[in-house]
Amino acid sequence: MVIFYRRLPKFEYIKPESQNMLFEILSDNKNCSVYAGGTDLIPKLKKRLIKPPDVLIDLKGLNELDYIKIEGGTLKIGALSTIYSVATSKIVIEKFNILSQAAKSIAAFQIQNRGTIVGNICNAVPSADSAPALLVLNAKLNIKKKDGSRKVNIDEFFIGPNKTVLDKDEIVTEVEISEVPSSFKGIYYKLSTRGKMDLATVGVAVLLGSDNGRFSDIRIGLGAVAPTPIRAKRAEELLKGEKINKELINNAARIASDESSPIDDHRASATYRKIMVETLVKRAICRLTEVG
Amino acid sequence: MEEINIGDYSLLGKSIPRIDAYEKVTGEAKYAADIELPGMLWCKILRSPLPHAKILNIDISRAKRLTGVKAVCTAKDFKGFRWGWMPITRDEPPLAEDKVRFYGEGVAAVAAIDEETAEEALELIKVDYEELPGVFDPEEALKEGAPVVHDYRPNNISWEFHMDFGDVEKGFKEADLVREDRFATGRVITGFLEPPAAIALWNSSGITIWAAKQSPYFVYRHLAQCFNLPLNKIRVIQPFVGGGFGGTKNDSVAGDFCSVLFSKMTGRPVKFVYKMEEVFLTCRRRHNAIIYNKMGMKKDGTITAMQSRLIADGGAYTAIGPLTMYLTGCISTLPYKLPNFKHDAYRVFTNNPVGAAMRGHGVTHTRFAAEIQMDMMAEELGLDPMEIRLKNAIEAPYETINKVTIFSCGLKDGLLKLKEHPLWKERKKENKDKETISGVGISGVAYLGGARQRGYQSCAAVLRLCEDGTVEYLTGATDAGQGSDTVLTQIVAEELGLSIDHVDIQRVDTAYTPCDAGSYGSRVTALAGEAAMKAAKDLKRQLAEYAAKEWNVSSEDIVFKNNKVYPKHMPDKAIPFRKLAQIACYSGVGAVIIGRGYSQYGIEPYDFEKGIGNAGTAYSFTSQLTRVEVDKETGFTKCTDMIIAHDCGKPLNPGLVESQNQGASVQGLGQAIYEEFVMDRGRTLNANLADYKMPTAVDAPNIEVIHILTDDPKVPYGAKEASEGAIVSSPPSVISAIHDATGIWFKELPVTPEKIALALREKKKE
Amino acid sequence: MEKKEIRFKINGEDTVISIKPNKTLLEMIREDLKLTGTKEACDHGECGACTVLINGVPVNSCLVLAMEAHGKEILTIEGLKQDDRLDPIQEAFIQNTGMQCGFCTPGMIMSTKALLNRNPKPNDDEIKEAIAGNLCRCTGYTKIFESIKDASSKIGGK
Repeated sequence: MVIFYRRLPKFEYIKPESQNMLFEILSDNKNCSVYAGGTDLIPKLKKRLIKPPDVLIDLKGLNELDYIKIEGGTLKIGALSTIYSVATSKIVIEKFNILSQAAKSIAAFQIQNRGTIVGNICNAVPSADSAPALLVLNAKLNIKKKDGSRKVNIDEFFIGPNKTVLDKDEIVTEVEISEVPSSFKGIYYKLSTRGKMDLATVGVAVLLGSDNGRFSDIRIGLGAVAPTPIRAKRAEELLKGEKINKELINNAARIASDESSPIDDHRASATYRKIMVETLVKRAICRLTEVG
Repeated sequence: MEEINIGDYSLLGKSIPRIDAYEKVTGEAKYAADIELPGMLWCKILRSPLPHAKILNIDISRAKRLTGVKAVCTAKDFKGFRWGWMPITRDEPPLAEDKVRFYGEGVAAVAAIDEETAEEALELIKVDYEELPGVFDPEEALKEGAPVVHDYRPNNISWEFHMDFGDVEKGFKEADLVREDRFATGRVITGFLEPPAAIALWNSSGITIWAAKQSPYFVYRHLAQCFNLPLNKIRVIQPFVGGGFGGTKNDSVAGDFCSVLFSKMTGRPVKFVYKMEEVFLTCRRRHNAIIYNKMGMKKDGTITAMQSRLIADGGAYTAIGPLTMYLTGCISTLPYKLPNFKHDAYRVFTNNPVGAAMRGHGVTHTRFAAEIQMDMMAEELGLDPMEIRLKNAIEAPYETINKVTIFSCGLKDGLLKLKEHPLWKERKKENKDKETISGVGISGVAYLGGARQRGYQSCAAVLRLCEDGTVEYLTGATDAGQGSDTVLTQIVAEELGLSIDHVDIQRVDTAYTPCDAGSYGSRVTALAGEAAMKAAKDLKRQLAEYAAKEWNVSSEDIVFKNNKVYPKHMPDKAIPFRKLAQIACYSGVGAVIIGRGYSQYGIEPYDFEKGIGNAGTAYSFTSQLTRVEVDKETGFTKCTDMIIAHDCGKPLNPGLVESQNQGASVQGLGQAIYEEFVMDRGRTLNANLADYKMPTAVDAPNIEVIHILTDDPKVPYGAKEASEGAIVSSPPSVISAIHDATGIWFKELPVTPEKIALALREKKKE
Repeated sequence: MEKKEIRFKINGEDTVISIKPNKTLLEMIREDLKLTGTKEACDHGECGACTVLINGVPVNSCLVLAMEAHGKEILTIEGLKQDDRLDPIQEAFIQNTGMQCGFCTPGMIMSTKALLNRNPKPNDDEIKEAIAGNLCRCTGYTKIFESIKDASSKIGGK
């Protein structure tokens, strides 16, 4: 049966005015959808890709979740903070630039103005642009529910396409990123067919620190090339502490490609994606280290 | 305001702002989906989840019982009605009858008090199918034993054409180099932003439908046939139309028939609006085609012969496909001298969505193949791609071997302008940085304007003079966005010597406007323009008689200019046009002054069986330079510049001509490197605007349009077509630019980053 | 499903309306407020035809629930004209033929409005980026860029 729905399904709409109320509803064991930016949720509901919720919970009554701030060097981004505000935040641009690059690469202004960074990761599509950046920034997610909270490292958050460790009664309230040494440099490369308004065919984030011609730290995040966004840890290991040189970078890029496990889909073939991981990892490291 | 001197005119040749611009920038302009009527119901269609299946049973009982549902229909309610382009190809029912032939074909429909209820009701309809093996590739469909899509075409050949002129074998023998290649064009769609929509009302006066149609007189006839009513009981009213580009909006859709039927069943107005995904999955798209091309060339670049065999994916129904096939061959003999030509075109049924017309209709496929092959051969022979075009380009007057007659041709002039352009002269592989390499490509093409179908094909105009000197202009021609209302109004005002705001063009209403073939094949300015010119001259003639009496001079010596009328050489005697209108309307018992005109150009017959003669009234010539930057590793391609030298004869509104060229070339860029439906067994996997990648503002190149002026006697004021040439010239020039950058010839569209990257790696290995 | 009452300002006018929570802002604007200048094309945030400004910020109204209008200021294409005077952007789109079919035009103009509000003198790249979320199939964008540049010079000239 194929129906092209133009209308949203029926649901009860609740806009909690306190977090207590929010977690109370979430713990109620109803089928709930959490609505923040809505840029992923509304199309999913329209297309009936997810079961219509009994209750749609609008987070936007909780103004306290809309913030970008620094506390003791740690960046904190609230659940309602939009992609645009992260992309253009002075703090983010200055101290966590790679995240700004990633946020800027998402869709266009109309989406950036609505969508949230937390939503971008909770949606858990393998191509989510903010994910590789957050992976290399070792972001932590503060997750809350009625009777408790937990902190999950982002590399443990994703468990499959559209799947995360979040339980039904939980939400991510905050992204937390520890201070990055000011000497670190990062690049997010998004490969897509169009110049804008496109999904990543491959996303590569590289953050590195160098010291006396050596890789003091290197982190590589990959998007759209595995069931979840991933870190290329073996490639990182190869480089860490080593002297910066072209051959090593080439090897690391090859290993990063081996670590990826992309699929063929309507956007690109697995073969191309694997090659592009190698290409872009190499390109990013070379550019950051100024190795020709 | 931009102005090009194309003669002694007050309005023609000037970039007058669009007459509908105010309504469009204020949101006042009403499109079909914007219209509501009291008591209106919503129509919604249930569609097939299988590409090929027998329908065993449809149970609508539960849907009918849902509160708010007013009617449910299936194919049975249309009593065997089927429509199609020719009487012998009427093979498409509004809703599938005994079997479904493509994924998403309509099987049942609901009318309910609101759209939400209609959607809910569809969920309650139960359809039992027996899945049949499907066929999804046209070459597979031609094989012995392939599943049969239509019983009346047991070999799956929907339509075929065979054209044979001169002696290609002899031509190949005379050649120093003969090449054979396989080319393919992609699965693309028009991409208008306004989904089909309509609101239908059936009452004692017959059918009234406000429908988003590019050619309202098609649906007018379809509805008369479907509901067995005389044409004077069918009223199609034209709201603003949000883009057409051929195909879907030049035809009827299931929603049109269902909403009219529901209005008949319920006595209430019924509205439908398609979803964009529905458009992508179930509406017309361009045929994708495989072209086996063979060309013979002498050492000096002279083309001796060309033979092409084209196999097009027609999808599940015939639609306008026969004409598409005709157009793939009939002007392959342009724009280069071709003494020997043979063409075999096959349109093949498959279980895919229906292939139909789209801007650049038919010509895009074969011209792409021929342009690229010509460049490949030039390269092999060590010839310059510019010189080879200049060498073979035709010059007017000219008659092709299949008797296409050319009275004006700006191709050489255009190519010479491009040859001197800095983009061409200074082209070299400047390495912007080591990751990116650039290239410049060229193409030169022809397109027919004032296209003619079979049967009724005239355009007409009626001008009604108001007593205050303003004019009401009735035409059956539709402005789907291209700007024809503005150009046609310019023509009428020019002839009458009036300022543009004195002439008011009405949008089509088949109850009042004269019948018109439609807005397709770049025919409006040529043919509706001719009608407008003649109607204005007719009105002027009548008015001049009154004026002549006043001044006692010959009516031929009356001048209409600047809202004034005066005897030749006596401008001091001028009276306002308004005054003359009053004199004419009030003299004696009063007169009704109506100007009438209809188009007569291009009435000589053409041979639709053999491909002989003019399928258009005049031919445009477009040559194009394109510059691209290609990422050597990722294949990411950015088109930076396009220079389009376009011979539309005389540009009546240069700004609109430029806009047509700019839009068509970017649409062509889409076809060349961005857009393609990815299919899996009849199912389109990327039926949305995120994954079907139409170029965005950041992808659009800088575009310079160079007007090449020629004078063609076959069209009014020498104005030829301006909307389709650039969608034909764009893909080959883009592909030629990518070749210039990479050294690789790509023969299948679209050329995505992936294809480029993988090909470059292969090349490196060699 | 129960309707809920919301209050907001649209095109400068205070409005109270009872609306079902599963209606989008776009549906409310077009169907309940009868402001049909805002267009629906893709319905999934992929084309920008439905762009309106909420508190000055451009959004795809097809992706926003109508309930969210509560307490906000909404600006649609119908709200740009002041008395009988067109906004300089509208004027520039007319003079530079920044449209063909006109279906993307309201959204395009609203994105331009947001751009010129925050950056009256945008460069070419900023213009392109500002309307990257607004697809146009007719014009190839050239005359839209020219319209926006012209509007910018008119606004800046004041």
